[in-house]
Amino acid sequence: MSDFLTSLSEATGGLWPYLVVILFGFLPSEIWRWASVFLVKGLDEDSEILVWVRAVATALLAGVVAKLLMTPSGALAVIPAYWRWGALGAGFLAFFLFRRSVMAGIVVGETILIGAGFLAR
Amino acid sequence: MAVYAMPSDSVFPPSQSSPWPPFRAGLRAAAGVPAFMLMCSLIGVGGLCRDIGYPVGAAILSTFLIWAGPAQVVLFGSLAAGVALPAIAIAISLSSVRFVPMCVSILPMMRRPNTPTWMMLILAHYVAVTAWVEGMRRLPPLPREERIPYFLGFANMVMFAAAVATGAGYFLIAQLPPPLAAGLLFTTPVYFTVALAAGARQLIDWLALGLGFASAPVVALYAPPGMDLLIGGVGMGTLAYVIHRIRRRMA
Repeated sequence: MSDFLTSLSEATGGLWPYLVVILFGFLPSEIWRWASVFLVKGLDEDSEILVWVRAVATALLAGVVAKLLMTPSGALAVIPAYWRWGALGAGFLAFFLFRRSVMAGIVVGETILIGAGFLAR
Repeated sequence: MAVYAMPSDSVFPPSQSSPWPPFRAGLRAAAGVPAFMLMCSLIGVGGLCRDIGYPVGAAILSTFLIWAGPAQVVLFGSLAAGVALPAIAIAISLSSVRFVPMCVSILPMMRRPNTPTWMMLILAHYVAVTAWVEGMRRLPPLPREERIPYFLGFANMVMFAAAVATGAGYFLIAQLPPPLAAGLLFTTPVYFTVALAAGARQLIDWLALGLGFASAPVVALYAPPGMDLLIGGVGMGTLAYVIHRIRRRMA
């Protein structure tokens, strides 16, 4: 397999990066979107199962957020954990304090995180 | 190439109202916070792509085609670390399973009896966190015939902005002071959290949000590698649904 990929990489030359994006990035993720189109055939907008599916999608996204903060990458890893969580919590609170303003939540969260980054240096 | 979908007469027969006003409304709705947030979160992907010596076109193509920030980070980050290509494809596929519940919950909101399958495939391509979170709260108040053009306007605007940011990040990212680079990486978690809260309407939404968040450290410990998000999402989403059912029965 790896020999085959190596020779394919050499044969395609400058096009190889684009092929990598398509074959190993686009296709493995896009199949799930396409599969979903066939899953929803005959499914009504008001069907009960969608209530459950929506809850699963929401819980999954919450998990994505938690994971990004638990195992941060790059520059975010330099910020101490309690500041990462604190900034997220403050953004969440600000969202409610400023009458459910998405913008306020983001600005407050970001300001605290970036400020902590400068203080920690 | 990028799939740029525009509402066409074959999908919107001339007898109906024009698709362009809702398309433009979608463009405008996306042009503020959503597009800016996505630009911040994808600017780093350009830098990752440059680090491995790939051309800027590959970075931009990844935004148009993969259209999932975390999967793009996995792709270029793993290439930098020398991970074998089939293993990268599996990791990306696992991280993109989350599109199934997103697509399955948002696509029926847009579909009409005469919507062709190719249009559904195009709509599905635009589904990613931003389009899903924003679509779930913006689409329901709209009349059904306006939802597809509105969604396409919205999604094309955020996708185009993100592609520009990916290209800009390819040339810019190395010069940023570390706290600002951390701030860019922080846009995704803070935006997702606040946008999810903005879209939460009923108790079940808050339950799913809170349980998914709180269970993540435990699930990460015990789940097989790469399966933690899926197990946590299905498990906690189901738990939220069960609580919602029990409460409804008691009411």
